[in-house]
Amino acid sequence: MKGTWIRWASYGATAVALVFVGALVGSLAWESLPVWRQEGLSYLTGKTWHYRGALFGALPMIYGSAVVAFIALLLAAPLGLGAALFSAEYVPGRWRWAVKVPIELLAGVPSVVYGLLGLLLLRGWIYRLLEPFDPLSGDTLLTGGVLLAVMILPTVMTLADDALRGVGASQRRAARGLGLTRAESIWRVSLPQAAPGLAAALLLGFGRALGETIAVFLVVGRQDNQWPASVFSPRAWLEAGQTLTSKLGGSETFLAYGDPLHWGAIVGLGLILLILVGGLTGVAGRWLPQARRHA
Amino acid sequence: MLPAAGCRKRGVMRKAVDRALMLYCAGSAALALAVMGGILLVILGRGLPTFDWSFIGSATGATLGSGGVRYQLLGTLVLVLTTFVIAAPLALGWALMQTIYLPDPRWRWPLRRVLYLLNGVPSILFGIFGLILFVKYLGWGKSWLAGGILLALMILPTVTIAWVERIEALPQGYLRAAASLGLSRGQIVWSVIVPQTWGGGVSGALLGLARAAGETAPIMFTAAVFSGVTLPDGVRQSPVLALPYHIFVLAQDSFDPAAGAHLWAAAFVLLTLVLALSLLALPLRLRAGEEATHG
Amino acid sequence: MLRGVTVVAVTGLLAVIPAEAKLRINGSTTVNPVVSEAAAILRAEAGLEILVDTVGGSSGGIAALADGRAEMAMSSRPVSEADRKRFPGVDFRSVRIGTDALALVVSRDVWAAGVRCLDRPQVRGLYEGTIRNWRDLGGPDRRVVFFNKEPGRGTWEVFAAWLYGTSTAAPLVSLPGVGSNAEARSKVASTRGAITQLSAAWADGERTFALAICNGDDELAPTAEEVLAGRYSLARPLYVITNGAPEGDSRRLIDFVLGERGQALVERHGYLPLAKRSIMGGAQP
Repeated sequence: MKGTWIRWASYGATAVALVFVGALVGSLAWESLPVWRQEGLSYLTGKTWHYRGALFGALPMIYGSAVVAFIALLLAAPLGLGAALFSAEYVPGRWRWAVKVPIELLAGVPSVVYGLLGLLLLRGWIYRLLEPFDPLSGDTLLTGGVLLAVMILPTVMTLADDALRGVGASQRRAARGLGLTRAESIWRVSLPQAAPGLAAALLLGFGRALGETIAVFLVVGRQDNQWPASVFSPRAWLEAGQTLTSKLGGSETFLAYGDPLHWGAIVGLGLILLILVGGLTGVAGRWLPQARRHA
Repeated sequence: MLPAAGCRKRGVMRKAVDRALMLYCAGSAALALAVMGGILLVILGRGLPTFDWSFIGSATGATLGSGGVRYQLLGTLVLVLTTFVIAAPLALGWALMQTIYLPDPRWRWPLRRVLYLLNGVPSILFGIFGLILFVKYLGWGKSWLAGGILLALMILPTVTIAWVERIEALPQGYLRAAASLGLSRGQIVWSVIVPQTWGGGVSGALLGLARAAGETAPIMFTAAVFSGVTLPDGVRQSPVLALPYHIFVLAQDSFDPAAGAHLWAAAFVLLTLVLALSLLALPLRLRAGEEATHG
Repeated sequence: MLRGVTVVAVTGLLAVIPAEAKLRINGSTTVNPVVSEAAAILRAEAGLEILVDTVGGSSGGIAALADGRAEMAMSSRPVSEADRKRFPGVDFRSVRIGTDALALVVSRDVWAAGVRCLDRPQVRGLYEGTIRNWRDLGGPDRRVVFFNKEPGRGTWEVFAAWLYGTSTAAPLVSLPGVGSNAEARSKVASTRGAITQLSAAWADGERTFALAICNGDDELAPTAEEVLAGRYSLARPLYVITNGAPEGDSRRLIDFVLGERGQALVERHGYLPLAKRSIMGGAQP
């Protein structure tokens, strides 16, 4: 009797959760329909966002999101991989916690606290340090990127550490037994074997940076229609910008509410973000479970 | 003689590379730890001087930055508790589904996949989804329950994966012994699996709740207001105050020194709450399921 | 788990039952300090349940009022024709509670270099990016950083109407955005060469300075005297708005704000109370 009951409750709970997940994806797609109808593909490629003129081009925000996430990865990847190598390859088992626990706690710091630190400290530092390069103000894409780097560091490090630990101890011992130095055994054995897991760690870090809202919102400057002379020029990193998430978290979300086209354009940004992050997570997921199976 | 000299030189070179890599890795780890320490020190250093027990015991005053954060803290606890009540049964149901009721890999795989992708969904999208579902379609206005449901959905993967890993780690002998006693599958679930894996679910939930307690983006459009409420007394139009949202709004007001001191103390309270939840869950976090806590 | 399901079911039912009436207020961060404080006093003294929020600024407040997500909007701009057209079924009733002088507020270095006053073409040049360096206006050799109030903020609407006739005529610009008054002030204070549109009351005279507006040889500072005399043209009325005639708690709040104590709050937050309004005549933009 009890068994059937639990079984049905279990089916029910799963169904409820699945319905919510479906509703999340479905509502973003459905509510953004008006903008896709009106703008078509130019919603993705347009460089002008001017809601009073009913012009909705999301490209500058896609650019902004990509740049801050890229800067974050550029800084967090070498640091996170180095720290992961240290905890996985150099630190004896018992002492690993001394590195792991603080990093795990770092992952738990709420994004609004990072935002606060960014707003009250990092902005000023960036503004002063980079003065020779004439940044617009303390609110720049670079500020957002640096802040995100700290935020994704635990993700990158923890996942990379997992991947490296997945490499069999016997292979490592064999490599050392053949007279390879620690560095050589890392280079020849650990890194190649852990490569998929390491790549997944970087991709997931990038995805997390793309989706982060509150901290970025507070320091990125929220400048619409910012399009650099050259997409790859780091000079543009010292200007203010707008990301998909800083737009979504801003006042326009409430303003747009009730005007189908404008609302569709705002929700559409959410859909773009979902597709970008979902894609990254999906690709990373192909590598990750494999790496974890050995863990 | 020449080859030997070459060998020695190469040996020196190899040693140097080995040393350099170790220094690099140790340096990365040290820097990562320093960042963590720095963040804690800043929050403690600025938050503690303003903090006393009356800060969490008294309500916010009429003028900006005066008084304490009593109702912000209580509001956050209401959200966290609601999140737990909703997330725990859904996670248990889903975990049982994935391990016991649908052991066929054809089913298990898509469930895993959905959970994994849900884990990657940026938190702002839960906010937008909530705005669409609860505010626009259900007409709830801002409501603590909407916030709890959204946060529960957000942490569902963390809790479920922790539970699944516990269930999968149960010794097969246990289950065989239970079966040989003539227990039905339902009885096994109820009297063996659930009690034996309860700890895993709870620590997974704690991890998730640590994240939920600190989130701003999902609740800013759906559940939290800046001032004017105490505790909720209904569902519709029944928002709460919440610590992260309070900090987010005040952070934009940080120019005022009085607001600044209040702000740091509030950040200190939030960080303490979040780290306490994470620390409670630490044993689990160090063991396994690490990918589930990041997105 | 059954308990969990029951909880969800019960709360779902509760959700269908309308909650007790609460007065929800949303809108302008300019009006917010006055209304929030009035609300806090009424909560403490009369036990009124009043929620105050400032999501989306004046336009956000008006939209919330029209959509039934709030019973009262705070606005630092009048209800426009566009609003009435967008929400035809809504009976907007505005009650004026005071007056605010808007100013162009600059950072210390700009002020220290001697920039005291801007005329309309200069403001237009700064806003549209044709004047890129303060040198051109007799200021420091420093890039102009114009922190633009986000769309929907009453401050922005009034500024745009002052500069371009109507806010819809304002050209598309690309400038870093700021939301609340406090945020605008803190960003100007911490950035060299910065300027923003802001209530003059919010400029503190230490790190942020309100410029005068020149008109030919005239130099009009955003002071109470100039505003009251109707000479300073960037002044604007502050409103609370209801859908239909205010009743119940809305009425009580409005009565309080219009009363002696409420008007004292208006003055304390740096705005001009109503009693002085009549002198202003038709000085509105």
